[in-house]
Amino acid sequence: MSDDDERGEEYLFKIVIIGDSAVGKSNLLTRYARNEFNPNSKATIGVEFQTQSMLIDGKEVKAQIWDTAGQERFRAVTSAYYRGAVGALVVYDITRSSTFENVGRWLDELNTHSDTTVAKMLIGNKCDLESIRAVSVEEGKSLAESEGLFFMETSALDSTNVKTAFEMVIREIYSNISRKQLNSDSYKEELTVNRVSLVKNENEGTKTFSCCSR
Amino acid sequence: MDEEYDVIVLGTGLKECILSGLLSVDGLKVLHMDRNDYYGGESSSLNLTQLWKRFRGSDTPEENLGASREYNVDMIPKFIMANGLLVQTLIHTDVTKYLNFKAVDGSFVYKKGKIYKVPATDVEALKSPLMGLFEKRRARKFFIYVQDYDEKDPKSHEGLDLSKVTAREIISKYGLEDDTIDFIGHALALHNDDDYLDQPAIDFVKRIKLYAESLARFQGGSPYIYPLYGLGELPQAFARLSAVYGGTYMLNKPECKVEFDGSGKAIGVTSAGETAKCKKVVCDPSYLSEKVKKVGKVTRAVCIMSHPIPDTNDAHSVQIILPQKQLGRKSDMYLFCCSYAHNVAPKGKYIAFVSAEAETDNPEEELKPGIELLGPTDEIFYHSYDTYVPTNIQEEDNCFISATYDATTHFESTVVDVLDMYTKITGKTLDLSVDLSAASAAAEN
Repeated sequence: MSDDDERGEEYLFKIVIIGDSAVGKSNLLTRYARNEFNPNSKATIGVEFQTQSMLIDGKEVKAQIWDTAGQERFRAVTSAYYRGAVGALVVYDITRSSTFENVGRWLDELNTHSDTTVAKMLIGNKCDLESIRAVSVEEGKSLAESEGLFFMETSALDSTNVKTAFEMVIREIYSNISRKQLNSDSYKEELTVNRVSLVKNENEGTKTFSCCSR
Repeated sequence: MDEEYDVIVLGTGLKECILSGLLSVDGLKVLHMDRNDYYGGESSSLNLTQLWKRFRGSDTPEENLGASREYNVDMIPKFIMANGLLVQTLIHTDVTKYLNFKAVDGSFVYKKGKIYKVPATDVEALKSPLMGLFEKRRARKFFIYVQDYDEKDPKSHEGLDLSKVTAREIISKYGLEDDTIDFIGHALALHNDDDYLDQPAIDFVKRIKLYAESLARFQGGSPYIYPLYGLGELPQAFARLSAVYGGTYMLNKPECKVEFDGSGKAIGVTSAGETAKCKKVVCDPSYLSEKVKKVGKVTRAVCIMSHPIPDTNDAHSVQIILPQKQLGRKSDMYLFCCSYAHNVAPKGKYIAFVSAEAETDNPEEELKPGIELLGPTDEIFYHSYDTYVPTNIQEEDNCFISATYDATTHFESTVVDVLDMYTKITGKTLDLSVDLSAASAAAEN
């Protein structure tokens, strides 16, 4: 486990990305975290999570963003994937309406397994492919409104709105959490009492994990 | 599904998921399927609705118990030895990054109708009413011997070859009383019955050392740790490891019928009319019931409570061992309790289990001595399951079947089975002292 683990950290938020296969979840993540895009990326292999920091109110806030590791392909995302998530991006592909129709199923799964108030955003990805669009902006907007989600159309390919979308979710989480912390002094204490950290017994100094090699 | 895999794994119990993860990391092409629509098989943790469905038919749980999803009730309750094989496996695979653990508050032992804390420090040991003053001195000498014992250093053996000398002989050398032997053998060495007394002492001594090292690791009140949200998180974490390394996951697959060729070798698995080919099949006993035999039965009570177990210093998580002799049984009974502190129940609720190897056909009566220690319960469920071991010859049919989870209180035997299966499947021995993430980082440079 790396040093920037949640223990002792003032703000570290877990955010999950969900949605059907091939809607661009991994590319959104790599665009945001590393400003990269891989047009030939196959189904996700080897992606864990990426950690990205931003400043809010002068405080460093870290977001640990998780990818599905391909387990969404046959609808086998683990319930553990959602554990402790305080934010979620539900992604569909604006050129494939089936991926939009499945948004409801992903929201159900999220609501079943997440145990806190989760900041949710609906994302219509691949908005650079206007010519073959199958889901209108209005459809996306109205679904988001009826489900109480933020909404944005993005393009991981040309970077449109990617950073904005992630940062909007992170800000929303921050404001949720700060309120919660003000309301309850014991919040943090309860989270950390008796926690143990499993690292090797030998003192081998800091260990970094390489989480995103392909 | 119409692809060819190196290995198809059936069932997403902990053993199968660890193997799936290890095999994917090795670069094998793995397909992992489960007939259920959830992960974990027999080693899952159930929410309240699932619990009611399984034990009470279609009844809906009472509302005063709280939200269903706040419950994570283990079907195979065990604690994790802080310095044991499972922790080594978690670190080796770096799966720890998907999980959070908390220390377990206390470990207790039952003696003549009362429960006593198993001392966790020298001070506690001095104060403990478990032994008289002179017995404490004798026991202390024995513990010093165990502590100093180093398999590789003959000087520490004091002239005894522990691979030949029995545990009984070692104990008699130190002149320990029967109650002390009961305490050391069952509450520290965690032997489930008294067979160990006539076996070579090396295993006995190593088990006490493991207990002591685990106790020292996190300086808690017990040698155990336990994951937040219950043990059902463990198989899922290893499944993610497998997926990250390319393993394909399918849940809710009916049948999962293993196909054999004319010579009786497994060649694939069929589900819903589609067949995936493979070289090897790994599964739990339920997927190849014709290749296993019944070896025993575990009986268990699952209780929801609104208070900690009495006389445990209000511990939120605790294990109590009831040695067989104290109850006139052939094998031990044990209690296991966890609470909302480990996120297995809503605030104010505790989940307690009473487990034993079944010696009768009446679990309610059989588990009574343990249940009486719990005080009032909100709900109580009884269940029993048969335990199986494989009977096939792997070289002949390419099937690798895990043994059912036993009644032991921790995961040592579980991981031993996994490591053994790994060796049979790959022909390699897993070196747990290697840190995989460090190794792969080094390889990249």
